[in-house]
Amino acid sequence: MATLDLQNLTKSFGSAQVLTGIDLAIRDKEFVVFVGPSGCGKSTLLRIIAGLEGATTGQILIDGVDVSDAAPVDRGISMVFQSYALYPHLSVYENIAFPLRVARLPEAEVKQKVGRAAEILQLTEKLPLKPGQLSGGQRQRVAIGRSIVRNPKVFLFDEPLSNLDAALRGEMRVELSALQRDLDATMVYVTHDQVEAMTMAHRIVVLNKGRIEQFGTPMELYHHPATRFVATFIGQPNMNLLPASVIGTGADGLTVEFHGGTRMTIPVDSAGAKTGDRVEVGLRPENLKLGQGVSMRLRVLERLGGTAIAYGQMADGLKICAALPGDTTVHEGEDVGLTFAPADAHVFDATGRVMRRRQAPALAA
Amino acid sequence: MQIEKLSLLQKIGVYIATFFFLLFVLMPFIEMIRVSLRPMSHLMTADFTWWSEDFSLQAYRDMWVTVPLLGRYIFNSIFIATSVTALTMVVVVPAAYAYARLEFPFKTLSLGGFLAVNMFTGAVLLIPLYRVLRTLSMLNTYWAIIIPGVAFLIPTGIWLLRSYLEKIPRELEEAAFVDGASRLYTLRRVVIPLAVPGLIVVGTAVFIGAYAQQFLFAITFNNVREIQPLPAGLYEFIGYQDVTWNEMMAAALTGITPVMLVFLFLQKYLVAGLTAGAVKE
Repeated sequence: MATLDLQNLTKSFGSAQVLTGIDLAIRDKEFVVFVGPSGCGKSTLLRIIAGLEGATTGQILIDGVDVSDAAPVDRGISMVFQSYALYPHLSVYENIAFPLRVARLPEAEVKQKVGRAAEILQLTEKLPLKPGQLSGGQRQRVAIGRSIVRNPKVFLFDEPLSNLDAALRGEMRVELSALQRDLDATMVYVTHDQVEAMTMAHRIVVLNKGRIEQFGTPMELYHHPATRFVATFIGQPNMNLLPASVIGTGADGLTVEFHGGTRMTIPVDSAGAKTGDRVEVGLRPENLKLGQGVSMRLRVLERLGGTAIAYGQMADGLKICAALPGDTTVHEGEDVGLTFAPADAHVFDATGRVMRRRQAPALAA
Repeated sequence: MQIEKLSLLQKIGVYIATFFFLLFVLMPFIEMIRVSLRPMSHLMTADFTWWSEDFSLQAYRDMWVTVPLLGRYIFNSIFIATSVTALTMVVVVPAAYAYARLEFPFKTLSLGGFLAVNMFTGAVLLIPLYRVLRTLSMLNTYWAIIIPGVAFLIPTGIWLLRSYLEKIPRELEEAAFVDGASRLYTLRRVVIPLAVPGLIVVGTAVFIGAYAQQFLFAITFNNVREIQPLPAGLYEFIGYQDVTWNEMMAAALTGITPVMLVFLFLQKYLVAGLTAGAVKE
């Protein structure tokens, strides 16, 4: 159906630079999620793609055609808003039919198209009701119905699940993924929730302070985060970062020394690193195991059933978190030792850039 | 606070305070009704009583004879106030929407200007207005009363409606815009239907304003009896010899009854509209 290209997009409000040098090539039928902390510019970027805001510089291409100055409807996009933005005075039928009424389609065609959208979204019985009579999930589906009825080339979603409770959010995630497959559509989805991003996206754009930190598949981001920011943003619980200093580089990787004096050689591309450089070693909680290694005082243990999340503090006051097996026998207040495989470690230089891991799991393209 | 939560003593206090407040506000009306029901000869003699044996509806019959054009005056009043309201709303709705949503040069300045204009009462501008209307040959027509009325009420209307329209979620309009709707289509299909309670509040305020101010414009810009609204027409009850107070009061009450009935019906919207957005819902 459609490709979406953003070329050197920038946006500033007055003197505040909100987006800087955004270059993205989104493929046909791809589900791309923009994720980032609040204020990172992800919603602004979506609104620029939608045509609700103009970019300060740069181009937006849909199917290779420059639509930077086109009205939203001429771009062939449709958008689902965070608040659903349903018209409270109109029935579900009229809400879904709204874009068709604007386009002045004949009644028979409106009826047929609304009927089909309602069928896909299981809203047929709700058509005569007003949005106020629907549950949150149903309202969400009406909002989606209004966006699909017009057969747009690109669907835009602005945090559509953030108003739903946790259980419903999980359900709608599955429904949205299925819908994307059924409609064979290009979708751009904005969220601050990395779980939504990881579970639904084909590829994720991680935004931070108006810049793209990384654009890749969920597994690429997990195993090969390009920056310290992406590494700590993706993954639950967050990655631990241990300060260390470089004491040598070699063919088998980078040798570092931790604060306690422990030395370790980590298999990463160490080109550019010099002895004495300050680095940070990133360790995912799920890669830490009990054993002889770094020592921590266990402060809180959260038993989730299958796993138990251990929060502790190391001798130098640094906080550390480990995901242990659910049947672990350690106790709060105890000193426990943690160990990890050097191949699981990530190394970030002083500027936050990653040193490429050599022995990470192979990635599906 | 809900009244159920008050103690008995507090409740009694609230009711007594309410009673005196209402008495103060409604006393002129009570007096009007009393006067309208009594024969002229008894008006000046008897002491004040709430109820009297001589109450009758005679004045309500006689007033049509004393002032033959009374029906016409009542019609004129309502016609003028309704026309003023309709014309004002036609101007106010798009203007208030523009002030609520669009950015344009001198927006704040012009809004302040409207407020400044409201500081002048009609009376200050009567003479210049007279000259304008004379130049336009509108003296002694309905326009002479309607046009100044509209002009003086537009600023208030814009201020009132603008704040109401600003409370309509912007995302609704953005959604319509994304779906290809023009500004005017969005205004017609989305904004106006959602603003109905606000429109009723503003419409009512404008109507009351129009009803109240027509007296001044009527006695200044008009001397044709057929066009005179009720407040001016009531002067005809003042004769050379005496004033038929009871008939004048009866006529005044009859004149405002239709309007009162409409407002009674709109009351629930008024209360809802005036407090809309006052608290987070």
